[in-house]
Amino acid sequence: MSQTDIPVIELKNVNKHFGDLHVLQDISLRVKKGEVVVIIGPSGSGKSTLCRTINRLETIDSGEILIEGEPVPQEGKKLAELRSRIGMVFQSFNLFAHMSILDNVTLAPVDVLKKSRKEAQAEAMVLLERVGVADQAYKVPDQLSGGQQQRAAIARALAMHPKAMLFDEPTSALDPEMIGEVLNVMTELASEGMTMLIVTHEMNFARQVADRVIFMDGGKIVEENTPEEFFEHPASERAQNFLSTIRDH
Amino acid sequence: MTNGSIRDMLYETPGPKARKRIRCFTVLAILLLAGLLALVIRQFAVTGQFAEKYWSFFTRVTTWRFLGEGLLTTLKAALTGSAIAFALGFLLMRGKIRRNRVLNAVSTALIEFTRGVPTLLFIYFFFLVVPKTGWKPSAFWKITLPCAISACGVVAEALRSGVNAVPKGQTEAALSLGLTETRLFYKVIFPQAFRFVIPSLIAELVIVLKDTTFAYIVTCADLMQNAKVLISNYDAMLSVYLVVAVIYILINYILNKISDRLALKLRRTQAEVKKA
Repeated sequence: MSQTDIPVIELKNVNKHFGDLHVLQDISLRVKKGEVVVIIGPSGSGKSTLCRTINRLETIDSGEILIEGEPVPQEGKKLAELRSRIGMVFQSFNLFAHMSILDNVTLAPVDVLKKSRKEAQAEAMVLLERVGVADQAYKVPDQLSGGQQQRAAIARALAMHPKAMLFDEPTSALDPEMIGEVLNVMTELASEGMTMLIVTHEMNFARQVADRVIFMDGGKIVEENTPEEFFEHPASERAQNFLSTIRDH
Repeated sequence: MTNGSIRDMLYETPGPKARKRIRCFTVLAILLLAGLLALVIRQFAVTGQFAEKYWSFFTRVTTWRFLGEGLLTTLKAALTGSAIAFALGFLLMRGKIRRNRVLNAVSTALIEFTRGVPTLLFIYFFFLVVPKTGWKPSAFWKITLPCAISACGVVAEALRSGVNAVPKGQTEAALSLGLTETRLFYKVIFPQAFRFVIPSLIAELVIVLKDTTFAYIVTCADLMQNAKVLISNYDAMLSVYLVVAVIYILINYILNKISDRLALKLRRTQAEVKKA
C-alpha cells in the first residue's frame, strides 16, 4: 500500500455498548483523502455516536480507529494533538459563549498551535470572510443567528487546518431558512477537496456532495453505495423503508 | 434579573378589578407603616431617646474619625477574608471536581465541615486555641481568618455549581479543537462558571462582612467594636446602634448594586469592550 492509499479515517470492527444497548455493531469504515462520506439513517441508529468515536468524544469497547494509519491515542497530550488535526462541527454549534466570534476562532490556533495572536487573527478574519460572517467577528455567539453561529463554528474548526472534518448533524438545530447557508459552506468545502464525514438528514445535500453514502440502522452499517445507486436503487428493505418515509413528507 | 421581570414571570398583567384591589392594599400598607413609625418615634420621645446628650457627639469630627477607622478595619477584614475565602474555595472546588478519589473525599469533608460549623466557633478557636500553639496572630487575623474559613466551603460549592452549569457542549468543542483538560478548564469552563456565580459570591462577601462584627470578641477595632466604645463613653446605646446599622446597610446595599451591575456587564461580555 503506497503512502497516499492510507485512509484518513479508518474504523476496524468497532463495537460499543450503552448499557445493554449495542449501539455500534462491528463497524468498519474507511474515508480516503478528499472523500466526502455521508452517513444517514433513522434516529437512534448510532450514526452520531459513530461520528463522535472518531475523535474519542465517545470511547469504544472493542475494535480499532486509525487516523492517517495511526491508532487514536487513549489520553493526554497525544490525544489532544490528534483531536487538533480533526475538525468537528456539532449540532448545537457549541461556540464558546463568553468569547467574541473572533476569539472563538483564534483560541485554539494560539493555545494549541502556538501561533501569535496577530497571525491567528489575520487568518481567522480570512476564514470568517469565507463563511460570510466577518462582519460579526466582534459579537458574541448569542447575538448571531443559528446559521451564522454554525458557519462561525465551521470557521473555528478550519482554523486548525484539519486533515478531515466531522459534521454531527450540523443543520438539525437550525430554522429551515438557515439550513441552506450552512450547506452552501459545506458544499464549497467539499469541492475544495476537504475530507469530510457528515451525519445528516438532508437527503438532497447528501445526494449532491457525497462520494459515498452509508446507511445505518440499529447500530449496523446496512448499506454502502454511491449516492446515485443508493437513492435510486436501495438494496436493503430497511433503506427502502427509510427513504420512502422521508419521501412521503 | 430585576424585580420587575420576576414579577412578570409570576403574575399576569392585572385587570381593572385587580388594579383597584392593588391600589387599596397599597394605601392600607402605607398607612400601617406610617402608624408604626409614628409609634416608634413617640416611644423614643417618651423614653427621652431624642435628648441632646445622645446625639450631640455625632457633630464632632473625632466621633466620625473614630467610626471611620473602625469602618476601614471592617472593610479590610471583609475584603481580605473574602479574598482568602475565594482562594481556599477555588482549591476546594478543584479538589471536589477531580477524579482522584482521595482528593475528592478530603475536599468534600472540608467543604461540609466549614459549611457546617458556625463562624463564632472558628473565632473562638482562633481566640482561645490557636494562641496556645505558640502562633499568636494579631487581632485582625484572629477575626479575618475564621471568617474566611467559615466562608470558603460556601464559595467552593457556589463555584462548583457554576462549573456544573456550563453546558457539556462547551467542553466537547474545546476538546475537539485539541485543548488539554487544564487549558480547557481555565480558558473555557471557569470564565463562564465565574460569571454565573458572581451574585452568589457577592452575597457571600456580604455575609463575611456581617461576620466581622464578631471582631469585638478578639478585641479587633472594627466598626462594631468602636461603636461599643462610643456607647460606653457616652452612655448612648440606641443612637449609636442606629447610626452604625445605617452604615452597614449602606455598604451592603452598595455591594449588592455592584453585583447587579457586574452581572449585567459580564452578560454583555468583554467582546464589545475589547472592540472599543
